[in-house]
Amino acid sequence: MLMRAMPSSTDVKTGGIALHSLQKRYGAAMAVDDVSLSVSPGEFISLLGPSGSGKTTTLMMIAGFEMPDSGRVLLDDKDITRLPPHRRELGVIFQNYALFPHMTVAENVAYPLRMRRVPKAQLEARVNRVLDQVHLGAFAARRPHQLSGGQQQRVAIARALVFDPPVLLLDEPLGALDKKLRQHLRNEIKTLHRDVGKTMIYVTHDQEEALAMSDRVAVMHEGRIRQVSAPQDIYRRPADLFVASFVGEVNLIPAKLRSGVAHGPADETLAAPAWSDGDMDATLCVRPEHLHLGTGEAAAPGIQGHVTGMTFVGDATIVEFRSNSGLQLTSKVLNISAGAMLGVGDNCTASWATNDATILTE
Amino acid sequence: MAYTISSTEIQKTTRALQPARPTPWAWLMLPGSIFLAVLFVVPLGWLLLLSFGAPDWTIAHFVRIAQNPAYIGVLRTTLQISCVVTALTFVLSYPIAYALTTGGTKLRTFLLIAVVLPFFTSVLARTFAWVVLLGRNGVINEILLQLGWVSQPVALLYNRIGVIAGMTHVVMPLMILPMLTVMSSIDQRLLRAARANGASPLAAFLTVFLPLSLPGLIAGILLVFINCLGFYITPALLGGVSDVTITMEISAQVVGQLNWNFGAALSTVLLVAVMAVLWLGSRFFPIEQLLGFSDDKIGLDKTARRQMGTQWLMRIGSAANALDRWLPSMGGRGIPIFASFLAVLLLLPVVIVAYLSFSASSYFVFPVPGYSLQNYERYFSDPLWLRATVTSIRIALMATTMATMLGAMLAFGLSRGRIRGRGAMIALVLSPIIMPTVVVAVATYFVLVQVGLQGTEFGLALGHAVHAIPYVVVIVVANLRDLNPTYERAARSLGAGPLATFRTIIAPLVMPALIVAAFLAFLISFDDVVYVLFLGIGRIATLPMRMWEGITQDINPTIAAVATLQMVFATIVIFVNTLLGRRKAQS
Ligand SMILES: Nc1ncnc2c1ncn2[C@@H]1O[C@H](COP(=O)(O)OP(=O)(O)O)[C@@H](O)[C@H]1O
Ligand SMILES: [Mg+2]
Repeated sequence: MLMRAMPSSTDVKTGGIALHSLQKRYGAAMAVDDVSLSVSPGEFISLLGPSGSGKTTTLMMIAGFEMPDSGRVLLDDKDITRLPPHRRELGVIFQNYALFPHMTVAENVAYPLRMRRVPKAQLEARVNRVLDQVHLGAFAARRPHQLSGGQQQRVAIARALVFDPPVLLLDEPLGALDKKLRQHLRNEIKTLHRDVGKTMIYVTHDQEEALAMSDRVAVMHEGRIRQVSAPQDIYRRPADLFVASFVGEVNLIPAKLRSGVAHGPADETLAAPAWSDGDMDATLCVRPEHLHLGTGEAAAPGIQGHVTGMTFVGDATIVEFRSNSGLQLTSKVLNISAGAMLGVGDNCTASWATNDATILTE
Repeated sequence: MAYTISSTEIQKTTRALQPARPTPWAWLMLPGSIFLAVLFVVPLGWLLLLSFGAPDWTIAHFVRIAQNPAYIGVLRTTLQISCVVTALTFVLSYPIAYALTTGGTKLRTFLLIAVVLPFFTSVLARTFAWVVLLGRNGVINEILLQLGWVSQPVALLYNRIGVIAGMTHVVMPLMILPMLTVMSSIDQRLLRAARANGASPLAAFLTVFLPLSLPGLIAGILLVFINCLGFYITPALLGGVSDVTITMEISAQVVGQLNWNFGAALSTVLLVAVMAVLWLGSRFFPIEQLLGFSDDKIGLDKTARRQMGTQWLMRIGSAANALDRWLPSMGGRGIPIFASFLAVLLLLPVVIVAYLSFSASSYFVFPVPGYSLQNYERYFSDPLWLRATVTSIRIALMATTMATMLGAMLAFGLSRGRIRGRGAMIALVLSPIIMPTVVVAVATYFVLVQVGLQGTEFGLALGHAVHAIPYVVVIVVANLRDLNPTYERAARSLGAGPLATFRTIIAPLVMPALIVAAFLAFLISFDDVVYVLFLGIGRIATLPMRMWEGITQDINPTIAAVATLQMVFATIVIFVNTLLGRRKAQS
């Protein structure tokens, strides 16, 4: 039983999670397929993926609500695969919060302590402290349905924090909230993570959320982890086509790599980083903000074509480009200066810097 | 009766669907409410007047009830039986309802069949099953003798044991269905949340599931208790001379001794008892909402009232959690197995009757010496049985037509119309299934006599229609809730007038519900025996009436064949219902 008097921020040794080849099958379908992941104590890691990619199932196997068909879950090097959920000492924040409707806010937050038979005086002190921490001290006597979505979310966090678990598991905690509130709570959770220093495993299908909050992001697709990296690397160095197109917008350009030079669809020479695997067919990934459209002499070598559409989106303008070979590309131009821009129908050349392209073979 | 739980939904739905201004929809309520006023409110008022000796006012009848030890005894018997049956039903029903909510798909399907099939099988057929099971030469005694556990048949029938066993079996679905409604609305994730916060399975059940299922438990207990107080068929057929309940006494006074005033006084006592229980229940549970008596608002005081019990459960749960480490892991299998066992018990009487109906013997012998269709042949070749069947169908068709039309109009009016006192209207519409059938039947009898309709098939059909209307209303209102008003707006925007909208949009979408409601109304009339006993005794021989006579006189196996046919018919109704439900879910 975990009942440390000190907040665990002084104690960064616990809270490491390791998943070894987790597998879970529902009927014929593989919900989670050979997932291995190592999370260090105090780390904030996101499981990012489209709906149905197995994120919740993975999280529920960590929490103990789903039994993996094979594989192991370790908490601080202790095998907890078969441990029932109530003995795992992991804090879980559920999708839609799962606050007990028949209890007040204070009773909800006290619940984990009641279950651990914490003495009354200590229980009250801890409940009050954690409620203050999430700025809900004034709402202790209310019932969950009398709170706003954001407040309910905070109660859920308070309830998961109050028994001081080394790890917090969060399943799309902001999914039910509107955009403004999401951004606000995003920062709050991030601050909380810094303050309490707990390991957090955060499930989301929102790439922006994952990139903004995490130390590392694990991108999942069809039950498998496709890439685990820091947010910058996920975005700049996607490991495969799925990651490249799921995280952010991307231009995919088919390329033939022949004796050290990349050739485009019309056999033009394309800028690409060096590769070592000899001749092959590949895809070049270029983010829209890295794709430059130039006219006349000044244009760098690249793909010839013309502008087919322009959309003003506030901070930037999205320029649609169609190459002479029929390839549809997108360029994002920040609206920094009100200088002359291209117009629809203008001929131009699409180009990018060598380091802004990623070579993907698949 | 179990459908009454949905009246809360009626309230919610109807409010949500209400247009901003009064609409002509409200007029649709007129025919149905006049019908119910004349055939339900007036009779009960009349009954009240009769009980006070009208036109010579007196309270002598009530004094007689209070002073005569025989009648006090009747009241005590009724109360004792009702309490024991309610308690037993609760204990046996909770595991089934729990497993029905939390179990896997296969288990749930099996349990649902075990609950719903008996629910739709006529009370008479189920009571008959217990006669066959418990009799001196009945199935249970046969088995006990063959096992050598007893040397002589044990007296199980025509005594308290028989009444309690039979009644418990008959009312169990009434307990399970409202429990199920509430339990299945509990978010299963809350249990996970409890587990994640350190609660053992037992502690999570005690601190989260049980408190949240409390309204369903109270509703079920109330329904069953009220039903027991006014129960007639089962105690009358399974009880002994010392087990006279108030309904049997009412019947004896009104039908046997033609002592109308005294019978009316007894009925009033029963009615007051039922109202008192409802009122008492409303102190723990928003029953006024359950019955549509109030316009919503479950105040905080109600939740505060429940607080005490919840705190108590929290303490027990917390203690249970401390023991968790020392308790052997129960594994999740105990409850499903126990629930399945209970469900088998629930199904068994019905199944045994079907089994015995194929017996080659002309007596009830268990196990059957051989199989034959002779019971069915006897039924199909006996003009008396066939004529009774035709009579039943004729009456049921009349009742179904009236109940479906009036009920559907009431449902539309309640859902779409705006009038003052809608709460009272809903209460009026639903009360025929809350009030004891015997009392309503007696009251109806008194009124029909005044207009010379007693003993006529039409008069009987009127009575059945009153009883069936609430079911029709509940089913249609539930369906109208799913009818998205934007369809109608879309139709209107596309140029359809109000009538065309009704014809092309509303009618086709409501049709499946109407069909189900009509089937149910038919079943209610077709299975009824209480109304016949009062409104048509000696004059109208319906199928249940012939069965009743058969059971009370010579218990011959042809009845088993008839009961089985009734069950088959009930199964068809369930099947049609499921089929239409599925089709709707797909579209
Ligand atoms: N209890 C279940 N029974 C059957 N299939 C399930 C169950 N839970 C999840 N699945 C399936 O497993 C896959 C992964 O689901 P899930 O982990 O919930 O995905 P995510 O959380 O990423 O949206 C989905 O295809 C889903 O349909
Ligand atoms: Mg999910």
